[in-house]
Amino acid sequence: MLDVITRNLPFLLAGLWTTIHLSIWTIVGGTLLGAVLGILRYVRFPVLGTASMLFIEFIRGTPLLVVLLITYFALPALLGYKTTAYNAALLGFILFTGAYIAEDFRAGLRSVRPGLIQAGLATGLTRWQVLRFVIAPQATRIVIPSLFNQYVRLLKFTSVASIIGVTELTGAALLINARDFHPVTLLGAVAVTYLVVCYALSMVGRVLYARFAVRT
Amino acid sequence: MSEAPIVEIRDLHKSYGATPVLRGCTMNVNRGEVVVVCGPSGSGKSTLIKCVNGLERYQSGSIKVEGIEVGAKDTDLPKLRSRIGMVFQHFELYPHMSVLKNLELAQVHVLKRSRAEAAERGRQLLKRVGLEAKADAMPVDLSGGQQQRVAIARALALDPQAILFDEPTSALDPEMIHEVLQVMTELATEGMTMMVVTHEMGFARRVANRVVFMDAGEIVENAGSEEFFSRPRTPRATEFLSKILSH
Repeated sequence: MLDVITRNLPFLLAGLWTTIHLSIWTIVGGTLLGAVLGILRYVRFPVLGTASMLFIEFIRGTPLLVVLLITYFALPALLGYKTTAYNAALLGFILFTGAYIAEDFRAGLRSVRPGLIQAGLATGLTRWQVLRFVIAPQATRIVIPSLFNQYVRLLKFTSVASIIGVTELTGAALLINARDFHPVTLLGAVAVTYLVVCYALSMVGRVLYARFAVRT
Repeated sequence: MSEAPIVEIRDLHKSYGATPVLRGCTMNVNRGEVVVVCGPSGSGKSTLIKCVNGLERYQSGSIKVEGIEVGAKDTDLPKLRSRIGMVFQHFELYPHMSVLKNLELAQVHVLKRSRAEAAERGRQLLKRVGLEAKADAMPVDLSGGQQQRVAIARALALDPQAILFDEPTSALDPEMIHEVLQVMTELATEGMTMMVVTHEMGFARRVANRVVFMDAGEIVENAGSEEFFSRPRTPRATEFLSKILSH
């Protein structure tokens, strides 16, 4: 029964590794994108703030699979560039995750007490300095649990990339299953693997939050 | 050395939507003077003091700080604010920074002092408010009275020309009010120019040169402190004093 796993272990591990680096690059890119969009929304930056809002609403109203199909088929056709399934998936995940993270950042920024902002301004700091030294550092700490919540969601969402042909963990299992047909064993192993990786990721989030939380 | 008032408020009007909050306030704060602003809740005291450093906008009238119009478009508000300290009701210490870092931030980024200079000045001021041992503590680990003394030190760190106090003891437990008032009294004795919104009538009587009494967005009385307490001129001030002094 389990020999379908052991026989195909290198292939499955390669899939897992793809899942992991796809997730890590998305976490890096999505967090940066989310921070920029969240700040633009928060300060209501002219034009760009509204553009961020429209982008966020568009992404939130679009299924993830459709986003990936757009970055794999539509955008390259529209803008005339070549892409790979992996790069298209990465771009799609960054856009998708970035939009959700932007809203988390905005909520975090808004949760900083107005009195603290006034206190910063009253000492002669400019608005940008107050954002940089007073608001953003607190918001970043506040937002850690929501960020890791998004990261865990994202890690599971990467399985959707198998549909555009990325051989990540789920994709690898589906390929093996098409040949050997052991759905219970293969998908059971895949599910347990996601569970373990997601649990580890959320533990990292908890440790970071415990370490950096602002006590008030 | 100028004899012009540090703060000059002329016929100030402000409203939130249709609700008027300030209805033609006129007053000065002269160099070296301690002016207490008092009055019932909702009379506009806090709004008035926040207009002085531009934290609140006003619709008409004028506020000049060291001769510079606060509401003018081309006024460099950060620069103006760095010369006027402010202490808040709820302390508003940055919770993610140690006490000393709270004192350093504006020194480094507004006055462009070096970290070392800022730290040294910060420690001096902590010593002055009796909290040199708390330099590395986080604000949350201090009592309310200690936090407010740190907030006063933070205001002093910029070597301000005057300090605005917005109900500095209203959020404190009674046993901590004294330690904050004592620091404020020392400042006044050293000649610091202060505009203080407070209900502490004992402080007003002992320390203030002048008392401004507000009610419903108007300045009803503006008198020497001795005169205000012994011979209030208006029924509204008399009533306020009898309420606040009798409890």
